[in-house]
Amino acid sequence: MSIQTIQLCKTYNANSDFPVHAVDHLDLTIQQGEFVAVMGPSGSGKTTLLNMLGGIDTPTSGDAIVDGYNVSKMTEKGKIAFRRDNIGFIFQDYSLLPVLTALENVEFVMQLQGHSEAECRARALALLKKVGLDKHQNKRPAMLSGGQQQRVAVARALAPRPKFVMADEPTANLDANSTAELLDIMQQLNEQEGTTFIFSTHDQRVITRAQRIIVFEDGRLTKDRQNPDYKRHTMSAS
Amino acid sequence: MLIKLAWRNIWRNPLRTLILLGVMIFGLMSVIAMMGLMNSFYSNMINNAIKWQTSHLKIHDSRYPDDPDIHFTVSHLSQLKAELDQQSLVHAWSGRHLVNGMIASARSVRGVTINGIDPLTKVTPLKARITEGEWLNDLGRNPILVSQKTSERLNLRVGSKVVLTFNDDKGALTGGAFRVKGLFKTPSSTMDDNHVYVRKGDLSKLSGIKGVHEVAILLNNPEEAPRFVNTLAQSFAPDIREQWLIRDWQTLNPVLKTMADSAEVFNRVFLLIFVVAMMFGIVNIVLMSVFERTREFGVLMAVGMSKRHIRFLIMLESGLMGVGGTTLGLIGGILLVSYFQSTGMDLSQFGDGLNGLGIDSVLYPSVSFQEYAMAFIAVSLATLLSGLYPAHQILKYNPVDAMSEKH
Repeated sequence: MSIQTIQLCKTYNANSDFPVHAVDHLDLTIQQGEFVAVMGPSGSGKTTLLNMLGGIDTPTSGDAIVDGYNVSKMTEKGKIAFRRDNIGFIFQDYSLLPVLTALENVEFVMQLQGHSEAECRARALALLKKVGLDKHQNKRPAMLSGGQQQRVAVARALAPRPKFVMADEPTANLDANSTAELLDIMQQLNEQEGTTFIFSTHDQRVITRAQRIIVFEDGRLTKDRQNPDYKRHTMSAS
Repeated sequence: MLIKLAWRNIWRNPLRTLILLGVMIFGLMSVIAMMGLMNSFYSNMINNAIKWQTSHLKIHDSRYPDDPDIHFTVSHLSQLKAELDQQSLVHAWSGRHLVNGMIASARSVRGVTINGIDPLTKVTPLKARITEGEWLNDLGRNPILVSQKTSERLNLRVGSKVVLTFNDDKGALTGGAFRVKGLFKTPSSTMDDNHVYVRKGDLSKLSGIKGVHEVAILLNNPEEAPRFVNTLAQSFAPDIREQWLIRDWQTLNPVLKTMADSAEVFNRVFLLIFVVAMMFGIVNIVLMSVFERTREFGVLMAVGMSKRHIRFLIMLESGLMGVGGTTLGLIGGILLVSYFQSTGMDLSQFGDGLNGLGIDSVLYPSVSFQEYAMAFIAVSLATLLSGLYPAHQILKYNPVDAMSEKH
């Protein structure tokens, strides 16, 4: 259960005089259970890469093979089911449904998967407890702080038991405390549930906590290294 | 969950939803009231025409309609009377002696149809329309009923004397003096203008003609009229029935039949116009509501909500608003129609125009269950379909493009 890209390209304005290569012939492999930060300046192609791996954007050429599925070649219908069952998304602006409570937001994707109401409820409550929001389960997003909303978004991403979580600058709108709390939670879930986390970020606080750091510039991979400072959450907690 | 989501989405912008509901409720109430008014308009016109002119059936001598000669009376009258008396479908019937002539007072003269009637029969509701004086009875010599309008034109009052002149059975001019026994007013100004009523015996004596020129029949069930024409004809030998012309009200006045049919068509066209106009409004509002949430739909697509579910969600939102608005509009419409059914809709300020068409000045709107059902189904369906176009528009987006929208 890994991610592999083969000569993956995404070019915007391909037919114009000034094509933009957001991702340029990328070859990359990410193993199951890794806690990976993709860093680079704005416009370097981090988000585009995550979108293509998550199946919400289509490559111009090349392949993105996720858990054995070549996402680049999937039909639209196939991608929807693939995303629902395999990918959890965490967005910079949280993107919770404002009319649903925290609990309902977490349950939502599980319900799309067809799980029973009781199953959805139990899993959503357990996740909200893990992210420390079980007391806020009936609040709508507007009544939660940014950090709390992002924690709900993490719980939502993990509720359908995805193999991979794509987090696009998850801490961009959070203060230092909220960032630290969120990273603790995500690392804990990564270790407990074995979910692969891939972040796009240029937040140094996130990068120091990543297990592996991939650096992007102008759509190209310029550095790919293990983080020597990475500590397992259980160890750091102790 | 989708129903919950759709319901809460509807109330994200309560003012907009309330405005849409208000438009639907007010619009549907207006359509229902208009349908009820048109129904009563047409049915009143038809009922009055049946009451005052055609009855459900009329029998004439076969030559009389083309040539209303005083000699062309209905033959075999005693056999016909016997048959009508034993037919259970017949509510009432009346033999009328008709003569075209002149009515003259000291002031003026007018051409009229003089109706010689049997005061005891109840085919026309004329007795209930006496506004002054009395209904005809056996008392007095040559009593006559004239309309209020005729009385004004001839300067008559109850008790005034008038002279009727017409041609008798020999073609000679004859006439007689009559005394006004009562004044009447019918819903039809044409009827009021052209008809006076006397006792059949008095007229027959002057004209020298025995018998009647028409037999008017009222049935217990008007729907049976076309069938009863055949039933009645089959009750007599061919040589007898060939001397008669038996016609139901639709044949006597084809315009009425056309009107009855056009009322239904008119209501459907009216409903269609409303539904189409309302659809534009709902599509507009749903489009606004959907495009405001483009980013949100992008997120829904990203987390794995199928296009089918998104389409269903949008249609559910428009459908819920539609069914809610239609239900409330229908309840309002029913209450409005019920109110006017009990009080009547007073249109007396248009009285002259309405009377010219043979319509009462006070109308009682009525809407059938089928029409309510048609309105409910048409409007609900239209609102449900109104979600299709916005859904189609939003589903053109892929998740990334939808999420990159600013709103």
